[in-house]
Amino acid sequence: MTSTLLPPAPAAAAALSSPRRRRTGLGRRRQLTGALLALPAIALLGIFFLWPLTRTVFMSFFDWPMLGAAEFAGLDNYAKAFTDAEFLRAVGFTLVYTALTTPLLLVVGFGLALLVSRRTRAARFFQTIYFLPVVIGLASGSFLWLFMWQSDVGPTTQLLGSLGLVDPAKNIFADYWGALLIVVGMVTWKVAGLQMLLLLSGLQSIPVEVNEAARMDGATGWQVFKHVTLPLLRPTLALVLVFSVAGSLLAFDQFYILTTGGPANSTITAVYQIYRTSFIQFDLGYGAALSLLLMLVLGLVSAVQMLLLRNSDHS
Amino acid sequence: MRRKTLRTIALSVAAATAVALSGCAGGGGGGDAAAGGTVTLWVRDYQEAIMKPLADAFNKSHDTKVKVTLVPAGEFVQKLGTAAAGNNAPDIASIDLVFTPYFASVGALADITDKVEALDYADDLSPAHVAQGQYEGKTYSVPFTGDVSVLFYNKTLFAEAGLDPEAPPKTHQEIADAAARISALGDGKYGYVFSGACGGCNIFSMTPLIWASGGNVLNEDGTKALLDSQEVTDALQLYRDMWANGDMPELVQTDNGPNAGTPFQEGKIGMKGDGTFFLGTLASEGTVDFGVTPLPGKDGGSASFAGGDNLSITSGSKNPDGAWEFLEWATGEEAQTQLADASVLPIRMDLLDDIYIPKDPRYQVFADALAKGFVPYSTVENELFNDNNGIWATLIAESVFGGDIEAAQKKAQKAAQALLDEAND
Repeated sequence: MTSTLLPPAPAAAAALSSPRRRRTGLGRRRQLTGALLALPAIALLGIFFLWPLTRTVFMSFFDWPMLGAAEFAGLDNYAKAFTDAEFLRAVGFTLVYTALTTPLLLVVGFGLALLVSRRTRAARFFQTIYFLPVVIGLASGSFLWLFMWQSDVGPTTQLLGSLGLVDPAKNIFADYWGALLIVVGMVTWKVAGLQMLLLLSGLQSIPVEVNEAARMDGATGWQVFKHVTLPLLRPTLALVLVFSVAGSLLAFDQFYILTTGGPANSTITAVYQIYRTSFIQFDLGYGAALSLLLMLVLGLVSAVQMLLLRNSDHS
Repeated sequence: MRRKTLRTIALSVAAATAVALSGCAGGGGGGDAAAGGTVTLWVRDYQEAIMKPLADAFNKSHDTKVKVTLVPAGEFVQKLGTAAAGNNAPDIASIDLVFTPYFASVGALADITDKVEALDYADDLSPAHVAQGQYEGKTYSVPFTGDVSVLFYNKTLFAEAGLDPEAPPKTHQEIADAAARISALGDGKYGYVFSGACGGCNIFSMTPLIWASGGNVLNEDGTKALLDSQEVTDALQLYRDMWANGDMPELVQTDNGPNAGTPFQEGKIGMKGDGTFFLGTLASEGTVDFGVTPLPGKDGGSASFAGGDNLSITSGSKNPDGAWEFLEWATGEEAQTQLADASVLPIRMDLLDDIYIPKDPRYQVFADALAKGFVPYSTVENELFNDNNGIWATLIAESVFGGDIEAAQKKAQKAAQALLDEAND
């Protein structure tokens, strides 16, 4: 910046080099302005992501209790993770949960999107209704469902009980599948609206002409869907998949509130286990190592999905 | 050597902050008082009703002002731990006594040995509380409130089931028999209730059934786990049989604390192991005609968990003198009397006869329980017993609801011993 403010010194040299100089000066000034404008974002990124991340990596190589002295432990924490039965069980359960929710969310979200894809007022009305649960916080939603399905006192169990569909005195949360299905139901209710909205915008970005052309060529509704809609929707589908897989792998709140890991610790997810390691067992170093392993898995999953997205992007 | 403390650093921090000024923010301000200023105090939220009036009374008569912050009970240990790690701990922490060994062992609490020894009534404090407040021969806390576990029973249901309401169970078998007869009444009535997914609740209300039989869950100095001992089997078997017989409502399997008391309060439950606080709740509602009796052993005897809170000054306190002023006052006659008036069990053994026992005929049971109460001593209490997904809670869930007690005990014993070895090496 200072150089641009200096007067071009020797006249002879100035004649030759000043245009270039001015251009580099301008470029530099632009760069600086850019950097300045990006600074707040960089600062936020640094403070809330890069610094904690660096620190997490650092801590993961230590035996680091919440209070007291940390001791260097090398790769011990990482090695421990692969033989830690509790953590492995949590990882296994997280995968089961992800395998269960991901297709369900996709199908329900897609179904809803198709239902509201007509450009009518009624469709907008239902679209709003389906989207409403999305704006409720995950914790609030969990507490709501926790109450709804309580044995004896929950309104849902009462209602279904009076219809003779369930035994209202039965404690659904005491059963592995009962507890898991309630969580899956809650998450579907809570998240499907967002999936719907994303898929809807994907659907609506498909030019009407393409569909019309296919129909003119004699394609049936199913054929149009399979050969036109789906391929053109693939980028959106990939995005929705990344969202729901990442969300499921990071599941914590819903289980913490609805099942507290029960019955008999059968619904503890990976993040739940990280929470227990760090804040109940106060073993922050090991918790950091587990977090990084989880981050690695998430990165891999996203990378694979991005790869699929790129290969399928015909546009 | 994880979990072992950096006492030297913590103590030098404490010393440094002690030298630093005691922030003078006192309203009213008189210059002659020893301490002055403001001290902050953290307490578990459910004690609001007793802590607020106590703080008001202290503030009225002292230049030093105490400011109370309520912390959600389930997160108290985590919050205090993170605050201490970040040097943001309050001056005073009212800690569930079982956690004082941990916080003392990691250097989060200030050594107050000399000050406590200088108290006139140092020898009259609840022995269980005093023991928990010590670590490696030094004292880190003073007793504050008592909360002991006993067996609550519904006299109306006992009478309805043809049992003598004035002759509560004295053995495990008598508990099982009474539970079966009350459940036989039907109409949503059950014999027994407990929080099956809550570690802390059961170290409070279930271990007395083990202690009273002569057994234990840990040895004296907390270095050996005894979870596979016969007395533990007996207590688990009692619960298992009652569960298998349908003498407990379904909610017990997933309740992690808050819900087990409700059906008892509604008069639907015959028996529940609980503490002094529960008596206050029941008495103020006045809807259930209940009695209290010591928790029995397999063939008789009795025992209790002597719980409650200890008060500690944190090692990072900016006003340790002001904090001590409150600690001394809180263990004094005025504050303890005020606690007794609020139906909290005082921890001054020398005052019980005057200020507590005369208030209610049932209080004698609590006073006796406090005198001979047990508390397992461990610096890994939270992980071992209080974690709702931890070793102890899992042992209970797998035994009572799963049924294979022997396998569950074996597994729990192995895990607990590994944990203790790691903590004590």
